[in-house]
Amino acid sequence: MKKLIVSLLIAVVVLGAVFAQGGKEAKKSEIKVALIVSSTIDDKGWCQAMHDGIVQAMAELPKGKIAEYKAVENTQPSDTLTAIRTYVNQGFNIIIVHGSQFRAQVEDAAKEFPDVMFAFGTTSDVIAPNVFSYMPESEETGFLSGIIAGMTTKVNHVGLVGPIDGGDSARYNRGFVLGVQSVNPKAKIDVVHIGNFNDTVKSGEFAQNLIQAGCDVLTGSSQQALGALRAVAEYRDRDIWWVGQDLAQLDLAEGYKCIAASSYNYKAVLIGLVEAFDQGKLGGEVIPMNFSNGGFEWGWNTAKCADKITPAIKKAVEDKLAEFKKTAGLVSNWSSVDYSKL
Amino acid sequence: MGAILVNTLTFTVRFSVALLIASMGEMFNQKAGIFNLGCEGIMSMGAFLGMLIPFSVGGAGAVPGYVNILGLVVGALCGALMGLLFGLVVVTFRAPQGIAGIGMQMFGVGLAGTFFRSFIGGQQSITGIESVAIPGLSKIPVLGDILFSHNPVVYFAYLLVPLAWFVIYKTPWGMKVRAVGTFPLAADSLGIKVNRIRYQSLAVGGAMAGFAGAFLTLCQAKQFSAGIINGRGFIAVALVYFGQWHPVKILMGAILFTFAESLQRQVQMFGQAFPYEFLAMLPYILVIVVLAFNRKSNKFGPAALGKPFNREMRV
Repeated sequence: MKKLIVSLLIAVVVLGAVFAQGGKEAKKSEIKVALIVSSTIDDKGWCQAMHDGIVQAMAELPKGKIAEYKAVENTQPSDTLTAIRTYVNQGFNIIIVHGSQFRAQVEDAAKEFPDVMFAFGTTSDVIAPNVFSYMPESEETGFLSGIIAGMTTKVNHVGLVGPIDGGDSARYNRGFVLGVQSVNPKAKIDVVHIGNFNDTVKSGEFAQNLIQAGCDVLTGSSQQALGALRAVAEYRDRDIWWVGQDLAQLDLAEGYKCIAASSYNYKAVLIGLVEAFDQGKLGGEVIPMNFSNGGFEWGWNTAKCADKITPAIKKAVEDKLAEFKKTAGLVSNWSSVDYSKL
Repeated sequence: MGAILVNTLTFTVRFSVALLIASMGEMFNQKAGIFNLGCEGIMSMGAFLGMLIPFSVGGAGAVPGYVNILGLVVGALCGALMGLLFGLVVVTFRAPQGIAGIGMQMFGVGLAGTFFRSFIGGQQSITGIESVAIPGLSKIPVLGDILFSHNPVVYFAYLLVPLAWFVIYKTPWGMKVRAVGTFPLAADSLGIKVNRIRYQSLAVGGAMAGFAGAFLTLCQAKQFSAGIINGRGFIAVALVYFGQWHPVKILMGAILFTFAESLQRQVQMFGQAFPYEFLAMLPYILVIVVLAFNRKSNKFGPAALGKPFNREMRV
């Protein structure tokens, strides 16, 4: 009896392994996309932009082209490798690790799983043959925001609440400085960093400080900026305004303070990744994102802030936007901005 | 320079409140011999409920004042319940307090995030409780801005300090709390129900942590986001050690920590060539340095802190 049970168990295990392998082979051509983010996919900022891009790409690609999409939120760098391994074991073959803080984990995972395509941002470095890096050239969006701030301020004093001085935020922030200086060289620009990407409370505290110091136009990058926008909205009856880094901010309750906003368009990035996957290319390239290649979008808040969008401001921004759409890399001097000399 | 100092002090008074209330609650826990590292999780749930109540009634628009107050009360009630739940784990089942606290922290943060997604759906904001300039007093030069132009809850929080001192040092219940936190066997031999007092302290401490979380969403951030507490619960626990378990010293600790935070913001705004990463660390370094050099702290601490009570055991 004992031998019979053991034989049956062995048979079940062997058959299970055979069928499991067969199943895997049958589904090899399927594309399954996983997203790993540090915040949430509805944060009205950095993470939501990527999530929305994936959803839009799925709608645009032939039905079923992406067989499955999953996202894991609130991920710390220490948890990232575990999340990646879990997804790989579940058969996900395009894994997007969205945030510059995850670089070391992506480098390790790329070596561990050479047959899986990874996408990682933000960096302009080529990381591995199976990693596509994406780098939003956010100095362009920052520059446009800076033009608005520089032309809107009545006291020649504007402020910026940044997360950390790195990644695309560093580019946006420095682009903002250059944009302000291009239209209002006399303007004083206060730049502060809260030290992380998610603390909206601290972001609000910094914004309150900037407003008390006299800034009348503020901007901010990454998802933490929502706290700063909320602080601006506290001054309902005062001439204090905001320029956003995500179009979703225009629709918020605080949107009446947001003159305009830019946004990342990750749909094009994802469609590019799927096409590369179909061609058997898993990475080894950097995908730049700019206005020229459709990586950014721009929107005015004509519904709520029409009186702040003067013809002069609109013309200055639209002219620069047309230049950006025509030629990429026009704000290549962004890295020369030194905050200590402002 | 004067304006910068006034701004720094004004923000110190305003932004120290959440830490002050939470650490005052944690003091009640620790005075009774329980340290609750789950403060962060309880604050998260308080913050979520503080947002949920007014948002359910009026969305992002204005709501009657009592709705906002209800948000604070519900946040506190939820905190009290979570405190009791923590009591079940560490008082009745005598689980290690450190591990159970970490579990409570994860539970609270996770639950708040899940409920937020289910009931609110995404990033939203509320009108919350506005600041009020006290007529007359707010016009006093310098002091008016620093002390008399805040949210009403700020004044309430500062009143909690003498109230907590009175409760702990001048009432029979406060004496029982200190007794069960110092020598529970002796307290038990005198007829004090050790576990009941510890449960009550955890409920009070939890209520204050929940209230502090609700304060953050209703009075300061006016919005909720996953991870909104962002370590403030742990800082509140540290401030109890920093303040040597005394309400007034805890108040001084909360003010000093927030002053250091406000100061680093001002220094950043000067645009000096100074690494902001170091400035952001300053308040935390300050706490560590003070704790490290304050060797007498242990003498003021409840002797039975962290030790489960078992009346069948002699130690």
